[in-house]
Amino acid sequence: MTTHDHRTAEDAEALTARLTLDGVEVPFAPGETLLEVSRRHRKDVPTLCYDPRLDPFGGCRLCVVELEGSRNPVASCARAAEDGMVVRTTSETLEGYRKTLVEMVCSENRQVDVDPLSGYASQELRELADRYEARTGRFEGKRSGRSKQDDDNPFILRDYDQCISCYRCVRVCAEQEGDYAISVKGRGFDTQITVEFDGLLKDSACTFCGQCVQTCPTGALADRKALRHVDTPGEIEKTRTICTYCGVGCSVDVLTKGDTMVGVQPAMDGPANVGALCIKGQFAYDFVQHEERLKTPLVRGDDGELHPTTWEVALDKAAEGFVKARDEHGRHSIYAIASGRAPHEAAYTTQKFIRAGFWSNHVDNCSRA
Amino acid sequence: MPLPTDDDLVARWKDEPAPLLPLLHAFHDRDGHLSDDALRAVSAGLRVPLADLYGTVTFYHHFARFPPGTSAPRVCTGQVCRFQGGLELLEALRKDGATPMPCAGRCDDAVPVLEGHTVKVGRTCETLEARSSPLPPPNPDGLEECVFAAIREPGRATLEGYRATGGYEGLAAAVAGAPETLLTTITDSGLAGRGGAGFPTGVKWRAVRDAAGGPKTVVCNADEGEPGCFKDRAIMDHDPHAVLEGMALAGYASGAHVGFVYLRYEYPETAAVLERAIREAEEAGVLGDDVLRSGFAFRVHVRRGAGAYICGEEGSLLNSLEGKHPFPRERPPFPVTHGYDDLPTVVNNVETLASAAQIARRGADWYRGLGLGEHAGTKVISLSGDVLRPGNYEVPFGFPLRTLLHDWAGGPGEGRTIQAVTMAGISGGFLAGDDLDVTLDEPAVRAKGSMLGAAGIMVFDDTRDMLEVAHACMEFFAHESCGKCFPCRIGTQRLTERLAGAAGPDALDGWSGEVRDIGAVMKATSACGLGMAAPLVTESLMRYWPERVAEHVESLS
Ligand SMILES: Cc1cc2nc3c(=O)[nH]c(=O)nc-3n(C[C@H](O)[C@H](O)[C@H](O)COP(=O)(O)O)c2cc1C
Ligand code: SF4
Ligand code: SF4
Ligand code: SF4
Ligand code: FES
Repeated sequence: MTTHDHRTAEDAEALTARLTLDGVEVPFAPGETLLEVSRRHRKDVPTLCYDPRLDPFGGCRLCVVELEGSRNPVASCARAAEDGMVVRTTSETLEGYRKTLVEMVCSENRQVDVDPLSGYASQELRELADRYEARTGRFEGKRSGRSKQDDDNPFILRDYDQCISCYRCVRVCAEQEGDYAISVKGRGFDTQITVEFDGLLKDSACTFCGQCVQTCPTGALADRKALRHVDTPGEIEKTRTICTYCGVGCSVDVLTKGDTMVGVQPAMDGPANVGALCIKGQFAYDFVQHEERLKTPLVRGDDGELHPTTWEVALDKAAEGFVKARDEHGRHSIYAIASGRAPHEAAYTTQKFIRAGFWSNHVDNCSRA
Repeated sequence: MPLPTDDDLVARWKDEPAPLLPLLHAFHDRDGHLSDDALRAVSAGLRVPLADLYGTVTFYHHFARFPPGTSAPRVCTGQVCRFQGGLELLEALRKDGATPMPCAGRCDDAVPVLEGHTVKVGRTCETLEARSSPLPPPNPDGLEECVFAAIREPGRATLEGYRATGGYEGLAAAVAGAPETLLTTITDSGLAGRGGAGFPTGVKWRAVRDAAGGPKTVVCNADEGEPGCFKDRAIMDHDPHAVLEGMALAGYASGAHVGFVYLRYEYPETAAVLERAIREAEEAGVLGDDVLRSGFAFRVHVRRGAGAYICGEEGSLLNSLEGKHPFPRERPPFPVTHGYDDLPTVVNNVETLASAAQIARRGADWYRGLGLGEHAGTKVISLSGDVLRPGNYEVPFGFPLRTLLHDWAGGPGEGRTIQAVTMAGISGGFLAGDDLDVTLDEPAVRAKGSMLGAAGIMVFDDTRDMLEVAHACMEFFAHESCGKCFPCRIGTQRLTERLAGAAGPDALDGWSGEVRDIGAVMKATSACGLGMAAPLVTESLMRYWPERVAEHVESLS
């Protein structure tokens, strides 16, 4: 046996650490949490404060599972799997706790049912309320959270009346975006999502990336632009595409109702962005259906005005202009700047066009600025 | 002398360990409140995001954001003080901007009023005076004590006085030997955490010693936020060197060279006592770079909290020290491996550390022998409320509660009977009736569905309305719930509303069903001990006083 063989044997052993999940022995990878193992095995463990992209937090306690040897159930989102653990993800007692918890959460909100245009995760509370038949009206009492009505920024609705203090927004802003723009004020039932001195988002470190909106499980933080289309007729359809703004190439789902584009949501499985977006990809899509958007080429006529025309005419006209400039002022009179929004292929074509077409190296990209 | 500038304050604290709280206190003391500009200066000076800092500052109820700030009195309206004139005193002081504060740890000498860095006590405006906290009353049966054995000696709080009665002899012996010897002594003594959870101290110290990584840290938990607990204050005020000695021992045993005392805001005089004791000890070479010429280095820093019961919970305490939002941490991992700065840390209660100092000097067998029967050692009980002689009593574990209440503390007032006591401050709920025939040790108290915990016991005589008491207790938990986890954040609020009659069903079945379901989910799923303990209040209320509960619910319809 060589040392090498020895090491592989050890590694293999590490990967075959096992625990018993609802009576079945399953392997897990080092570092996996009980929730991750459970979800991998299609256990329907409910959560509200969980976003797989964020550090475990353990706030909602819906994910509790029974762990043999532990007096109380444990929060599976925050508990690392260990070899030999015996775990039950469901039981009458657990389901009872979960129902009570969902009923309690429903009791603090004015509204459980919010429009799905509110945001990517906005239906999580509503779905759990359905699953646990939790609209019982039990645990009635004071409501928590106060909406920030004077924040009239065009992007993010701050309707904290619906907030359930899961702090996903605060954590996504810090952990995913590194912006640390929002935080938790006060404590206990009086906690309130806020920015410094209770101000407006525009005066804070917020970059309007919309991540808080998309992770919010209740629609307390909601996509104000999409919500303009609540009454637009039709079902919401999602089409996977790529943000056209920059070279990062974030995957997005474009939301449409009929022929109308009503919003954008990040693709959680997008290879470049894993659910993240910036303000441009998230909110700056009005140009798509803007009435002033150019849909045909325009060419300036002798009258000095722009006139719609065909691509053929327009391209001839452009070529004519290029040739004229080159002939009158030399090849270095032409300088191309490729848009940072252009895809790879277009950038390639641009430099080819300048180098092969004009024998010049005067070509650059705007993202060098 | 001109007031220090923002830059002066930042420069003073920026490079100190755990700088956020002391820097905030420095601004708070200078200006009387924390203005927007002060927060901006702290944010820039320590490079903490402003929104984060703002949220964290608003977590602590003693940090004032606006004038009159620290100059306005804060009056204790805790569960004992509210029956001893606290509510009336608050009203009388409203003219000076007074606001209420939860139990401020002076239940044996009501009513404390906090003004800036001074605690005054008295039941009326006229009688308010600043005086030192009471010494523990002498032990009537002459039973041998551990923590209090020499606390009543004059001058005990000075280095000289402490050394006159054997102080620092235990540390001298320990640092002359191997850490292993000390670990064995502490483990064999049976000493366990006196802060509530009762974890074996020797095991904890050894776990930190064995843990990989460092530097390691010792934290003395002096947050003492539990209503009805004022034992740590007595120990620190009158025997500060015992606490420092205990910390140095913990450091030597575990391999730590830095210690923090995390002290509750409501004990400003104690901060001064500790600072003086540290200075004395460092000047004498008892603490510092070369503890008692052994080559072992150990330094202690005092860090004041700012008004948050939850900061006594060790995870929350560590986050607070680190300047983070003080939510408790998920466990595991525990502080012994992931404590201060995520490095191995001993967190011990004041009384635990003071006991360790005596044990190091007098030995494991001596300490074990102090307990009754099978029980090892002693426990300080903070006894308050409707008894003639409230105060801190050190009892052997296994001591009968009734003997303490009647023989030691003089029983209830003339013509009264004792209706109920709280346990573990208020975290153990109530004991009443035949359950008062219990001995003071964890197994016996747990058998009654309660817990001994940090051993604050408040006494209520037959004139008290226990529903009202239960409401005041639950209101405290709701006020102090950190808001991290759903069962406690919502549960403490809903239970308080139901006890107040402010919301909830007005038929007994519905009311009890809701209260029980909330309690069950809190006990089973809360993220920390606060939420797990709070429902013991409603549980014991419903167990001992079902008629009073029925009457209350009936009055709602
Ligand atoms: C809500 C809550 C409050 C606590 N407050 C205190 C406290 O004020 N002082 C203390 O020593 N321990 C307190 N504890 C216990 C600490 O978490 C920890 O167990 C203790 O400081 C460990 O020290 P020990 O082992 O010496 O008792 C509290 C625990 C909880 C859950
Ligand atoms: S606003 Fe939404 S994401 Fe943020 S804490 Fe409230 S419910 Fe959670
Ligand atoms: S969302 Fe922002 S970062 Fe992502 S591709 Fe679009 S512009 Fe680039
Ligand atoms: S039990 Fe209460 S105090 Fe503890 S983490 Fe949960 S909300 Fe915070
Ligand atoms: S998902 Fe585990 S506590 Fe919320």
